[in-house]
Amino acid sequence: MELLTYTFVQYAFLGGISMAVLAGMLGPFVVQSRQSIASDMFAHVALAGIGAALLVGASPWWGALPALIIVSTLIWWLLDSGTYSPDALAMFFLSGGLALALAFVHLARDTVFSFENYLFGSILTLTTTDVLAIVVSTILVAGIVWFAWYPLLGATQSPRYFVPFRRTPKVVQLLFFWLLAIVVWVGIKTIGGLLIGALLVIPVLATRNWATSFKQVVLLSTLASVLSVSLGLITAFYVDLPPSSLIIGMTILLFILQSVARFLIQKKGG
Amino acid sequence: MNKSVISVKNVSKAVAGRQLLVDVSFDVAEQSLVSLIGPNGAGKSTLVKIILGLDPHYEGSVVIRTGERVQYIPQLTMNDQYQLPMSVYEYISIATNRLYGATRKKVDFEKTLIHVGVATEKLYQSYTSLSGGERQRVAIARALLGDPTILVLDEPLAAVDYASRAGLYELIRHLQQGHKMTVLLVSHDIDSVLPLSDQVLCLNQSLHTDCHPSEFTTKDGQTNQTIHHHC
Repeated sequence: MELLTYTFVQYAFLGGISMAVLAGMLGPFVVQSRQSIASDMFAHVALAGIGAALLVGASPWWGALPALIIVSTLIWWLLDSGTYSPDALAMFFLSGGLALALAFVHLARDTVFSFENYLFGSILTLTTTDVLAIVVSTILVAGIVWFAWYPLLGATQSPRYFVPFRRTPKVVQLLFFWLLAIVVWVGIKTIGGLLIGALLVIPVLATRNWATSFKQVVLLSTLASVLSVSLGLITAFYVDLPPSSLIIGMTILLFILQSVARFLIQKKGG
Repeated sequence: MNKSVISVKNVSKAVAGRQLLVDVSFDVAEQSLVSLIGPNGAGKSTLVKIILGLDPHYEGSVVIRTGERVQYIPQLTMNDQYQLPMSVYEYISIATNRLYGATRKKVDFEKTLIHVGVATEKLYQSYTSLSGGERQRVAIARALLGDPTILVLDEPLAAVDYASRAGLYELIRHLQQGHKMTVLLVSHDIDSVLPLSDQVLCLNQSLHTDCHPSEFTTKDGQTNQTIHHHC
């Protein structure tokens, strides 16, 4: 408990739980729309934005935001055109983003800069501005998800659940990509660009079998995500392991526990 | 009476040199039940997409009378194991929510479910736990909540077990008459659609004739071939 008196610990919990709510809330939409790999694609693009910001002397994390919004719009447009398959596009942006990031950072000749902070997160070094930006992002995304709940639900369903002859879900899909871009942006600061995908997906997989409605999936996955982040952070203060690895470790543990529980319940039920 | 609500004139479509539709023309009369039948690959779904305005790349013209409200029930496929849980309420609400300008109350949902023969208790159950027949009925309920004057159904029995089929067709006919709707029904299940159709259109790239029901001599399991040969 004494730990909670430190500002960096308070910030870690505030930023972490905010991010957990974001990821838990949007994760079901990501899984449902089969866009799980998109978060990874976005994260790599964010690295290019970070590199570009470094090159022009701007704040790296803030540099990632415009890059994410621009490229997520580009990806939405390319996917919508139907010319390229989603997996090929994913590889294009995954590798392309990384290559650009490498080149930008090299050109910036910044010897102190380390990509590692953005790949695996730096939740223990959040500043007041960082926490504020994360909390505002969470409120913004939560508000949009609440307001556009059913259109988002419709736009992220399998194509056969689409309702043609209504307003096209295409615009809502773009909105969804922007929301995902914001989640990835928060993710690269906290849990890391390479790990945010796990926080989006694993809590959904761990809770989907316990729900009968999409709303329940969202509530349960948010709960699982918050629980994993809290337990992961608490453990990080006692065990010498990176917080991000412990947080994702907790989601995996949760997944295994529920799988065993489900197996036992099914066995008991015959 | 018998005014045309859908008018299809000289519609053709080719993709990569392959002709999918050749010079298709027909009219759908007001408050009639018209079945569009044909074997797989005959161009039924292509034509439906064109009629619904989902595919703008075609030759010819399709006119839907001004003021008509079209609802489309796409073909339901078998259960998708990756589908996350979604309640019946949520499934219906995707189309019927305030952002799409079609706010409906829970009581409307319940009434409509009863109307299509689904127990109201199912409203909060998982949509994926329903049988094929129930899902089709729920899909019809969702369309009805859009208050349509024209209902387009694509293969309504594709994911429905044999025992539920007769009941579903009866429901479609009953709703069509009760709501004074025009229904366009796409199917390859010729046996079932013949008795309830006012008009049968036989499609195989082109429209062969206005096939009169008596022209068909179908046998179970041979419907596709039968349609093809007898058109």
